[in-house]
Amino acid sequence: MIKRTLYFGNPAYLKTANEQLVIEMHDSGETKAAPIEDIGILILDHQQITITQALLAKLLANNTAVITCDHTHHPTGLMLNLDGNTLQSQHFQAQLEASAPLKKQLWQQTVAAKIQNQAAILAIQREENKLLLNYAANVKSGDSENHEAQAAAYYWKRIFPDFLEFRRERHGPPPNNLLNYGYAILRALVARNLVASGLLPTFGIHHRNQYNAYCLADDIMEPYRPYVDKVVCHIIRGNGRFLEMTPTMKKDLLAIPAMDVIIDEQKSPLMNAVQRTTASLVKCFEGKARKLLYPVLQ
Amino acid sequence: MNIRFLRSPIGGAGGGFERLNAYRIMWVLVFFDLPTDTKKDRKNYALFRKKIQADGFQMFQFSIYLRHCSSRENADVHIKRVKSILPPKGHVGIMCVTDKQFGMMEIFRGHELVQNPDTVQQLELF
Repeated sequence: MIKRTLYFGNPAYLKTANEQLVIEMHDSGETKAAPIEDIGILILDHQQITITQALLAKLLANNTAVITCDHTHHPTGLMLNLDGNTLQSQHFQAQLEASAPLKKQLWQQTVAAKIQNQAAILAIQREENKLLLNYAANVKSGDSENHEAQAAAYYWKRIFPDFLEFRRERHGPPPNNLLNYGYAILRALVARNLVASGLLPTFGIHHRNQYNAYCLADDIMEPYRPYVDKVVCHIIRGNGRFLEMTPTMKKDLLAIPAMDVIIDEQKSPLMNAVQRTTASLVKCFEGKARKLLYPVLQ
Repeated sequence: MNIRFLRSPIGGAGGGFERLNAYRIMWVLVFFDLPTDTKKDRKNYALFRKKIQADGFQMFQFSIYLRHCSSRENADVHIKRVKSILPPKGHVGIMCVTDKQFGMMEIFRGHELVQNPDTVQQLELF
């Protein structure tokens, strides 16, 4: 089932009663209720939101990803539960004991899937993509020839229309802000599903920055990034170069979890696809499978 | 109404979302008539009401409760849960209709036609 995403961008008082999330709007005094078990992601993006500890505890007990944003409306934190899966210590063990060759193979599959999807985006944008398809077909174990970076350099140069002079930088000019926003949502979604599958989002298969708490999430989200890029391309088509974040853009980006993607030759919402990916990762760690399930962009 | 409540027909951004259509979305209705003769009956009644509320049902009319479920499977889960908390005495009806059927209901307040409850959106902005 597709879980709900709730976004709070206005002053509100959030509390709980009867296992429901009760929303009390400041200015109107109106109250609404939503079942906590149906919520997948909760985004808090206003300085005047008050939330009770009892509610936070219940949200986490139901495996909701709680995202907080700073005064510039960028996601700053992500809160996840500690016991997302009943078999988690067994899964942790398998994950931590995964051999280097296995991790390299998984990374190879991840990079190949990512480049493939990037190539599909270029095709949608009517750009040349033969080089990317070539890169994708020839990723070595552990991506030893670093095709990921070469593909990225080629991809970012061509993905957006000519008038943008785009450079992908974390704090760069738009549309970097839109990409960052979309990736933050995606990362929360992936981290949530990793936890739900009983994995530690901290220990990655490739990323190993000692300051990064979500290395594995960053690994697994790679092939999903082009879906965010696709939404951003769509926004650019509608707005030209005027890309300061507006509520409509935010709405488009927040719809990412419900996007339909093709995974394992079946259509499914992105949120459920991520679930299948993380479940297949567990199987790989446990030696029951060799193939990670990733979506194929068309 | 001061509450800013943007809801979009999901779509736009990235292609089709056929999964969330009016024939898959279900509404589960629970109607009940429970005895209130003895203290114990009243207690059972209050408990039942509280339990279905905790399962996400909201009051539509006195002793008619509604829950929005995003799929048939999800509706089955909640029907099963209601069955597991049935009170010892009294009449309880459980019904499940598609969003399409539910949307065709006409609701009046006095003579005035009022709006049906909104479908829950996958994404809501408050």
